Amino acid sequence: MHSEYPPTMPAEYADIEFENNAQRMPLVLCLDTSSSMAGAPIQALNNALAEWTRELHDDVSLSYSVEVAVVTFGGQGVGAWRGPQLLDPRTRVSPFIPAHAFQAPQLTAAGVTLMTEALELSMHIVAARKAELRASGLQYYRPQICLVTDGLPTDPTGHLTDSWHRLVPVLEEEQRARRFRLYAIGVGGITDMGEQVLRAFAPKFNARLQGFPFRELLQMMSASANAEQKGAGDEVFEKIFSQFKTQRPAWEA
Amino acid sequence: MSGRTVFLDGRAVTLAEQPLKGGGQAAVFPVEGDAGIVVKIYRETPGADQERRLTRMLTMSPLAARPTDANQPPELAWPTAIARGADGEFLGYAMRRFGEPQHVQLVGLFTRVQRLKLFPGRADWRFLLGIAWNLAFMTARMHYDNLVIGDFSSSNVVVDANGFVTFLDCDSIAFTDPVTGELFPCLMHTTDYSSPERQAGGPATRESDNFALAVLIYQLLTAGNHPFGGVPHESASESTVKDNIAASISYVVRPEMVVIPRGTVDPSVLPPELLTLARAAFGPGVQAPAARPPAEAWLRALDKERGQVRACTVRPLHTYGSHLPTCPWCTRAAVTGHDVFNGPRPTHAHVPVPPPDQDPSPYAALKVLAVVMGVVLLIVLLTNL
Repeated sequence: MHSEYPPTMPAEYADIEFENNAQRMPLVLCLDTSSSMAGAPIQALNNALAEWTRELHDDVSLSYSVEVAVVTFGGQGVGAWRGPQLLDPRTRVSPFIPAHAFQAPQLTAAGVTLMTEALELSMHIVAARKAELRASGLQYYRPQICLVTDGLPTDPTGHLTDSWHRLVPVLEEEQRARRFRLYAIGVGGITDMGEQVLRAFAPKFNARLQGFPFRELLQMMSASANAEQKGAGDEVFEKIFSQFKTQRPAWEA
Repeated sequence: MSGRTVFLDGRAVTLAEQPLKGGGQAAVFPVEGDAGIVVKIYRETPGADQERRLTRMLTMSPLAARPTDANQPPELAWPTAIARGADGEFLGYAMRRFGEPQHVQLVGLFTRVQRLKLFPGRADWRFLLGIAWNLAFMTARMHYDNLVIGDFSSSNVVVDANGFVTFLDCDSIAFTDPVTGELFPCLMHTTDYSSPERQAGGPATRESDNFALAVLIYQLLTAGNHPFGGVPHESASESTVKDNIAASISYVVRPEMVVIPRGTVDPSVLPPELLTLARAAFGPGVQAPAARPPAEAWLRALDKERGQVRACTVRPLHTYGSHLPTCPWCTRAAVTGHDVFNGPRPTHAHVPVPPPDQDPSPYAALKVLAVVMGVVLLIVLLTNL
């Protein structure tokens, strides 16, 4: 596999870190970068990503085992990012980067909303990562996928589509088998219909939030990753999520 | 903003807007204008038993009789006051702050990146051995005082630059009230450090602490490797540390059972007596709690090794047990290209190899640089006085 790395890839980006046998915690941020996100929302998302990256680096516990990959849907289609670098769709390089080496990408917003395809890509990279880790003798916690959107799924021409229905039974089975935990978050001006889609994707962990509270969202992902590391029960994840969903600070609980 | 005011023994304090750390159960907040303390606020109104527990804890001063060096922080972040709301309702408690960067979670010692960042120039094997000693000492002392740590993990113990340790989550400790005889159980645990009987829902005991202690000491002595890492050859698709603990599969005892990650440090870096203790804990001790070495056994064995640590003459930060004839970290670096304690050297692909009469150590230049920087720093400090 090493020969397939682009020659510019720095050594610390090597596919699986040599040094520790820590159980890994794969985390996928599946982000809407379609035209409706243009302007202030995408700027808010970029800022929040940069800030979260700093917090992640400073969190010794999370940076020990979390690996981050970013998937975006916008422009002409979907893409996987290895940190700041958008990967060629034909590459076999893993988009996952250890948290301590993760750098946030600079995202721009335009184009269509291939939400279904982006979730499929997210599931695919998670399954591939698990296989890579296992083959290397490395264990993993249940991965987290976090879908963030302000719209409705479209086809490549930008027209609304019902193709997302095909995902519902797949996601149901995957989550029942505890293969990953999916969070589906609606932001900005997401409509009731958009919310219905998210509810169908992630019956327990969906939310419709005012504005673009990306910072709180990413902190919730960190808190959940922490709970996963601790081996918390489902009720803890639900508690963390409901805390986040109501957008109340902890001291008002 | 009134929601951020809490009362500590009747004194109103204002909590910072953002917690330092939030989990599912509680969040820990700094206090405005008092950098010395933090307040832990439970997310859901805690029960009367939790309030009784903390009230009892305030009357106790465990480990207090122990004479400590002035440089040593307390080994327990013991509650100092109950935090109440305006109507006197119980919200949480205050404790001394043991925050970064002076105090780092143990897990920060388990990867090279973090060791170099958080303990520059000092996190070698000797340092890790000293921390293991401090952990064993703390555990032995708590058991002597009839306290069971219960939730013992790499996240709720912090280490300072001298290797002294402090246990943070004292409100989960299991103990029996010496006055009323009421038992306060430990309801929390961290799966990667939980013995099988704890995973199965059993109570926290000294033996479950001994299991967690063995895992932590093993991780320290191998620069971070979990003894229940590795994927079993014949396993279901999802395999975790927790599963390996439950199935009693440790590569330290039965290496043939798992695919061992290539970066794993060989258990033989542990001196024989310590390796024997580890094998007891990760072999028969997994299923038989009484077979786990108690904290005092670890303490005795660690104590013996502390005076015998060897230092490598070739590379910095390479120290190792006296049972080894040569530096295991150099051997590993030579075989794998990975130095466990030193960062990657700057690559000078076009620089010719130095002639043999020069200092063979590639670190000679770094040493000179370090001395020069030290002198510069000293001058700066002196001129500022």
